[in-house]
Amino acid sequence: MTADSLALNNTLVYDYLRKFVQEELYTSGFTEACIALSGGLDSAVVLKLAVDALGAEHVHAIFLPYKASSDESRRDARTMFEFCGIPWQELDISRMADAYLAQQPGIDRLRTGNLLARMRMAVIFDQSKKENALVVGTSNKSELLVGYSTWYGDMACALMPIGDLYKTQVRSLARHIGLPQQVIAKPPSADLWAGQTDEGEIGVSYETLDQVLYLLVDQRCSSAEIVSEGFETDLVHRVEHKILASQFKRVSPPVAKLSQRTVGIDFLYPRDWGK
Amino acid sequence: MTYTVALAQVNPACGDLDSNLKMHVAQAEQALEAGADLIVFPELSLTGYTLKDQTLDLMRRADCPAFGPLRDLSHHIAICAGFVEEGEDGIPYNSAFFMDAGDVVHVHRKMYLPTHGMFDELKFFGRGRNLSVFDTRFGRTGIVICRDLFHPLEVSAMSALGVDLLLAPSAMPARGFGGEELAIEQTVGLALGSASTFLGMFVVYVNRVGFDDGLGFYGGSALSDPVGEITALAPRFEAAQLLGTVDTSHIARHRYQLPIHREEDLAIVRHALEARRDS
Repeated sequence: MTADSLALNNTLVYDYLRKFVQEELYTSGFTEACIALSGGLDSAVVLKLAVDALGAEHVHAIFLPYKASSDESRRDARTMFEFCGIPWQELDISRMADAYLAQQPGIDRLRTGNLLARMRMAVIFDQSKKENALVVGTSNKSELLVGYSTWYGDMACALMPIGDLYKTQVRSLARHIGLPQQVIAKPPSADLWAGQTDEGEIGVSYETLDQVLYLLVDQRCSSAEIVSEGFETDLVHRVEHKILASQFKRVSPPVAKLSQRTVGIDFLYPRDWGK
Repeated sequence: MTYTVALAQVNPACGDLDSNLKMHVAQAEQALEAGADLIVFPELSLTGYTLKDQTLDLMRRADCPAFGPLRDLSHHIAICAGFVEEGEDGIPYNSAFFMDAGDVVHVHRKMYLPTHGMFDELKFFGRGRNLSVFDTRFGRTGIVICRDLFHPLEVSAMSALGVDLLLAPSAMPARGFGGEELAIEQTVGLALGSASTFLGMFVVYVNRVGFDDGLGFYGGSALSDPVGEITALAPRFEAAQLLGTVDTSHIARHRYQLPIHREEDLAIVRHALEARRDS
């Protein structure tokens, strides 16, 4: 039941998302897009989408490796640049990151990962200014919901075209648009250290995670109902906990209300106000 | 009688009354040139949909000077368009006007304003409380705005009041991408099909396209005839102006074939409601 419910009409989805990318840029007065390419699936799909929406000459993709990034990431990123017909751009963040990391003895993996994500954010936003472009985000619904992403790091962007697609749906869309098999088939990874995978970190496969998320979020099922569908109690509770624990990442910071009209509370305008 | 209706499936600029007015004039002139007698625009076509606090700045009366060019054009083509109406009570309403022969013939205030999930209309608009129909050269006409179309009692009441032509300006966001068509398209199809098949009226459904803060409006504007057939259908996601033909003889013919209209006995409903009220 759940697998069927997650299936999408990819032709409709892709047509719609292409229009979304076009309108979100053009209405804001932009023609150029900047995308940080990791070599992974999400940024590959977003790159192809942006190229199809805006034209290859209007898409500025950059590979932003750290010295610990894997050779596979570089190979797959290069494959995607070639696949989309855009020139290879690489900016190594090792020196800028190490200048800080050297002053932080004992820094753990989580802090390092967050730091690298925010270094990439700083670089891609600076590059977007240089290109007069908007940064197109690559977060998917699975990671937005469980918080497997860095606040003001990889989550920072001007628009999120695949933010309402679960990871397994992104993969299905990738097959539909004919991305190279090596990009589709590789295990999703933040690529912060050798052998790291999302599924190892989150502790469950995306197939299972997405079904639990779909039942919890889209169908508003109770955890008891989901367990009765055959999912492990512990898993369902862990997913619920991850959603709650990462809620702060999905909202704007609360502003202390003092006046009659307060930014973020009752000063209400659409993003493209006045455009 | 046969006449031509133009379905203006447009993408209004959010909050930009001036540019939307120009767009309406251009659309109406295009329709006129193509031989249309009536043009119908989507919900809030003169202002855009996701207005939020711009609502206060954009409210106007249907007879305001700014809409003069449209009233002038209505000497040549009747116009139904959506706007933020400044009520005589100072309240903004999500309304649609019908202009013909240089005059504002009717204004409908949206009665059912969705305020749940992605919608927050009642936060900004007053609720229309007047269900009324009006006579035009096209026959007795009613307007329902977007969610109004999903309220069978409102549509049925308009039918009971004698409506032959139902205009349904809309801003329906796309959602439900799992099937051959969008889930919302199926829902709209049911509403159009039941209004035209069971109530024997022509329905002109005009939905906008474009995006507001992540909400994408899917288009798919359609003309539904009294046998429940879609005789004109605009594309998904693309702006378009579509022409449809209305042959009013279909109404009597269909109602003779399936005389639901003739069978209708509102006294039954009235009696049930009164009995409930008195109990």
